[in-house]
Amino acid sequence: MSDAALDFGRRIPRIARLSVAVSPSLIRWTLRLVTLLLFGAATAVGVNAGMGAPEISPTSVVNHDRAAPPDL
Amino acid sequence: MRPLGIRATTLVVLVYLGAALAVLQGFVGTGLPVQFGASVVSHVTGMAAGYGAAIMLILMSRSPWLERDLGAHRLARWHAWGGPLVIVLTVAHAFAAVAAWAAATSIDLVGASKDVLDLPGLVTASVGTVILVLIGFSSLRTVRRRISYERWHFLHLLTYLAVGLGFAHQLAGPDLAGRRWLQIAWALLYTYAFALVVRWRVLQPLFQLWRHRLRVEQVRQEAPDVFSVVMSGRHLDELRAEPGQFFRWRFLTRETWRSAYPFSLSAPPTRHVLRITVKARGDGTRRLFKIPRGTLVFAEGPYGALTGRRRRRPRVLLIAGGVGITPMRTLFEEIDLPGKDVTLVYRASQEQDLVLKHELDEIAERSGARVVYLVGPTSDARNDMSAHALNRIVGDLSDHDVYLCGSPRLASRVRGSLMDSGFPRHQLHEERFSF
Repeated sequence: MSDAALDFGRRIPRIARLSVAVSPSLIRWTLRLVTLLLFGAATAVGVNAGMGAPEISPTSVVNHDRAAPPDL
Repeated sequence: MRPLGIRATTLVVLVYLGAALAVLQGFVGTGLPVQFGASVVSHVTGMAAGYGAAIMLILMSRSPWLERDLGAHRLARWHAWGGPLVIVLTVAHAFAAVAAWAAATSIDLVGASKDVLDLPGLVTASVGTVILVLIGFSSLRTVRRRISYERWHFLHLLTYLAVGLGFAHQLAGPDLAGRRWLQIAWALLYTYAFALVVRWRVLQPLFQLWRHRLRVEQVRQEAPDVFSVVMSGRHLDELRAEPGQFFRWRFLTRETWRSAYPFSLSAPPTRHVLRITVKARGDGTRRLFKIPRGTLVFAEGPYGALTGRRRRRPRVLLIAGGVGITPMRTLFEEIDLPGKDVTLVYRASQEQDLVLKHELDEIAERSGARVVYLVGPTSDARNDMSAHALNRIVGDLSDHDVYLCGSPRLASRVRGSLMDSGFPRHQLHEERFSF
């Protein structure tokens, strides 16, 4: 771990002083929101990747330049 | 082991159904009617490996509902046979694909390998396969014994990279290409698997670090090679850790931050303090002896279902071997049992290996529970841990829930004897750790 990272680690308690005051219910709802956003992003990335995937497989033998005729 | 609940059974059925559909799609992808050969093997193993890799990611994502419904022990067992299976399927897919290409294009295997590597996404997928093979090799028992836990753990983390490298190839593979909905479903399977990993293996511990500010308060020697780490923090009750559970601890010092060690709580958790007790087994765990006071701790957990909730019978027998006493010590103190009909059998090869003995004696005296020490060589008849001997110690053994935690050898011996004697499987609860 770099010195900068360790130094940041040492400063975390100061940065995170806020964490002490926040109520457990606010924490729970924030985590739920984070989970929702994360899975929303995963849905967007997944749908996008699926939509953008090739329609013709580049690894199919019948679609390759040097391939034998499709009747193989 | 306890039987699966309805939610867990539904999940298992869905996983198998998904596997069956993936394999079926592998057959369909080769074209109908199916003609058996390298091409079919390549398609089917490719689909099965791709599906299996995503399922392995999900199983090891540390999602609380998986850990709770299936249990860390069961998940680890499935991972132990599922992981190698995925690697074998991936390698079989690679060889079969090259063989099928060679046959279809009438060239030799070397030429076919070059051709295949020229295809889009195949170089990265091949690098991923090599990484997977290395991980599998490092997990072989004989190799595993020769490398440190830290190195093995780091190699294991590369699995995410390996799986990611194969993703583009999977989406563009002939079994999915041109089937838009299937491609979307497959991509979602992977993005959700990675989202689970990010949520529970990255964000949750980071959040816990922020919220609880867990720090090392004290490192104290308990026995020649055994020491306790006492950690303090805030709002620790919000973790809802129970006696018998464990965390994966990452101590943020320059030397130790790379490895997450699974250790059970060795004292009942309180609002401000957590304690673990560790036996030094290698350089990595030995380094923990020297963690300075104030070190921040990145904790993943709590995990494990070896808790009082598992209890179904009116009496409890706790069996511990060596440092396996840690979860048992907390259960011994905290297990909620009317009349406190709890017996702890603690096995160690010598007196000085009895960790936390003074605490156990004190708990026994205070609560009226019983502790039995079996010290000395295994060959000594007084240290017999067969079902028959345990029955003699506690009375009616079948009326007990048995909690077991010890070295793999001891656990296997006790488990085997209990099962041979007809002891009900669902009354035996155990957690297995081994580095």
